[in-house]
Amino acid sequence: MKITWFLRAACAVAIAATGISAAAQEKTGNKPGFTLAPGTARIVLMRPTIWVGEQSTAGMPEPNADWTTQARENIARALADAQTGLGNVVISYDEDASGEGALVAEYSHLFGAVAESVIEYQFFSGNRLPTKKRKDSFDWGVGNGIAGLKSLEGGDYALFINVHDEYGSTGRKILQIVSMFAPGAGVSSGVHKGHAGLVDLKTGELVWLNADWEMGGDVRTAEGAAKRVRQLLEGFPGRPAEAPAEGE
Amino acid sequence: MTRLLIGLSMGLAAMSPAAANSLVSAGPRPNIAGSSFSAAPVDEWNRLSRKDGKNVEIWTRDGDQLNKVTFFGGIPSGKPLVREIDKKRQPLPKVAADMLITDIPVMLESTYRIQYAVSQMDIDSQEPATLGGHKAIRFTYRFAREDDGVRRKGEAIGAFVGGKLYLVTYEAPALYFFDKDVEKYRKLAATLAL
Amino acid sequence: MRHLSRFALCGAGSILALLGPSPASGAEPGLELPTYTRAYEPRTVDERGVWMEADEAERGLRDSPLRIREAGLEAYLREVLCREVGTERCAGVRIYAMEIPGFNASMMANGTMQVWSGLLLRSRSEAELAAVLGHEFAHFELRHSLTGFQQRRRATDAIAWIGVWGALTNRDTSSTQSIIERGIYRYGREQETDADLLGLQYAALSGYPASTPSEVWKNLMAEEDASAAGRNQKPKQKYTAGYFDSHPTHLKRSIYLAEAAAKMPPGGDARAKEYRAAMAPYLPRFLAAQIKRNDFGGTEHILQSLAADSGWGPDLLFARAELYRTRGNPRDLQVAAQYYREARAAGYMGAELDRNLGLALLRNGQADEGRQSLNAYLTAMPEASDAKMIRALVAN
Repeated sequence: MKITWFLRAACAVAIAATGISAAAQEKTGNKPGFTLAPGTARIVLMRPTIWVGEQSTAGMPEPNADWTTQARENIARALADAQTGLGNVVISYDEDASGEGALVAEYSHLFGAVAESVIEYQFFSGNRLPTKKRKDSFDWGVGNGIAGLKSLEGGDYALFINVHDEYGSTGRKILQIVSMFAPGAGVSSGVHKGHAGLVDLKTGELVWLNADWEMGGDVRTAEGAAKRVRQLLEGFPGRPAEAPAEGE
Repeated sequence: MTRLLIGLSMGLAAMSPAAANSLVSAGPRPNIAGSSFSAAPVDEWNRLSRKDGKNVEIWTRDGDQLNKVTFFGGIPSGKPLVREIDKKRQPLPKVAADMLITDIPVMLESTYRIQYAVSQMDIDSQEPATLGGHKAIRFTYRFAREDDGVRRKGEAIGAFVGGKLYLVTYEAPALYFFDKDVEKYRKLAATLAL
Repeated sequence: MRHLSRFALCGAGSILALLGPSPASGAEPGLELPTYTRAYEPRTVDERGVWMEADEAERGLRDSPLRIREAGLEAYLREVLCREVGTERCAGVRIYAMEIPGFNASMMANGTMQVWSGLLLRSRSEAELAAVLGHEFAHFELRHSLTGFQQRRRATDAIAWIGVWGALTNRDTSSTQSIIERGIYRYGREQETDADLLGLQYAALSGYPASTPSEVWKNLMAEEDASAAGRNQKPKQKYTAGYFDSHPTHLKRSIYLAEAAAKMPPGGDARAKEYRAAMAPYLPRFLAAQIKRNDFGGTEHILQSLAADSGWGPDLLFARAELYRTRGNPRDLQVAAQYYREARAAGYMGAELDRNLGLALLRNGQADEGRQSLNAYLTAMPEASDAKMIRALVAN
């Protein structure tokens, strides 16, 4: 288990050295024709997968608990603000005394598998499935069994967030600059990726998913988190257009 | 712990370009898995370009993590079901000419435990069936891998024909996906011929 | 450019110097308190980071489908750990029993311990289990997750710098990089030895025999040799670890542990009987999983080593029959049938014995006897989930 860390760091260097870097990639999928139910939507924020740390000189990820805690708080607050602006309410998931911890964890893992499939087989070219290439098709979900969960009662939608940030350490930045003089040894600094998805708690359908491999906004600050949340919520389904003004 | 993180990062990073996956439209389909297996699917499927073995072919609707039909087309005596990752330290069980039909689920389970870090697996029901006119076994099972928190269910039909193993499996997460697509698999399995 | 490369060379050189023998335990300022102190809070940036990851990973373990939730098992494992390391040390530990057939237990920085079913299967007494748990606890007490992480960061940083320097000066730096890489593995081996020796100190105070930790490694070596022999490979035990081994060799460990133990009080009861009683409900399931690993030699060794301790009881005889039936050579099928019958005679009650005996006989061409056994199974379990299939086999 310990050695794998090392191999991973070594891989990071190898990838950087061969100059392959993920091109700016951002993609959103919406269930066609879906709009948020009218009125105030109650959105349950599932325990977000948030990881914030530093990237060592060699590219090894170094977890930073303080930054992660800041990011957790900042993102939750920015999400609540953003949704309040849209007229929605965000509640953090609480297992409470439901005893549903393991089942909800399994739904979260299932959502993870669905999100990975959307990203791999629909969003990005390379490994797309022919049936997922078609225009205006976005047919994914975790099933309506989720509607039966007591601990999610009272929510209209579940919001899943996954954010991974590695800020380049000073050493990494210097290495990046020095490497510019070295042909064939391109070194990238920092990793900032994330995805967010919204599941309709009545039907279990995935109504929206947004994935981005190169995100902006420093999640360690309130302003940065607000920017990150704006990017994460790219394409977030709005409500039906306001009724046209009378007389039109 | 590390495994989880690596899994995550691989999930996002494993988008290296490969030969394209192809569409399986409704209608007759001969020579599946490089063998005499044929079928006439009623629904659309995607055939993955990925190969887990010489005579192995994978079809899916939404991605192999969510629903997966695997054809093992005539695995001969002395060969494993899928390509071995580590012949020396993790050798897989091999097909044997004198195997009973009830050895098919046992062999699948053992292969999964060794190759895919499946540390929980139970064979549930087993009943007689026919596959392309040959005596076959139909069985159902459940399993969980060490490296993800999703429990999966499976259903399969297999037979020995001319000393070779022919087997088709359908697998999906126990939550939602298995039931969503099992009928599509059964319709497909009903058209199998050899 | 020339200036730059000289600078890079210096940088790389001084980083190399930093990599010398590093302190084994975290004597870093701020880290004087032991990790097992009640409600300990991580102190430094690195330590908080490592704990945060452990906290997330622990949530995963807690909710994992592989966790063995049956009443009592995790509580029993905790009792064994507490006996080994003392109540003060074990107070803050959470133990998760996982159904994974490998020989392993591990501990994360925040006091989460996972114990795999493969370790529970192979242990023959509380003392053997405790030796492994104590070793893992020693990693925890010595903050090895943290210091190992810091050491890997230092080393990989140096490798990255040297790589860029090589690219700048168009030199092959792979041998220098490889030296540092070996340092990472050597550091890992030093951590293992430190944990072994601290673990032994717990054992000596626990009342379990001080000689047990050395025995555990001997037995694991014997299993690996048996496993290799079963696959027609050469046994691989050696005294010196390779450059890229993360652990000292089992042989070396068993020897230095035995030497150190000889200088300690011998200790008392290994509590083998208590251990067998506690594992009895799980033994059939753990054995069944082991048999499906396609490791005839290793599995046969495990069975023999368990039997040497407890005698060939019905569960072990049945497992041995299953092992031979699974390998499936004609001679194996004959031997399997014999073991099934011995298991029955020793008091094995389950009806699946008749089914599997019948299948072994059928596969071996003894059709009439085979059908007789299968019929006995069907009479006992007419509604079994595989009854239809077995009925079809009998009818053929």
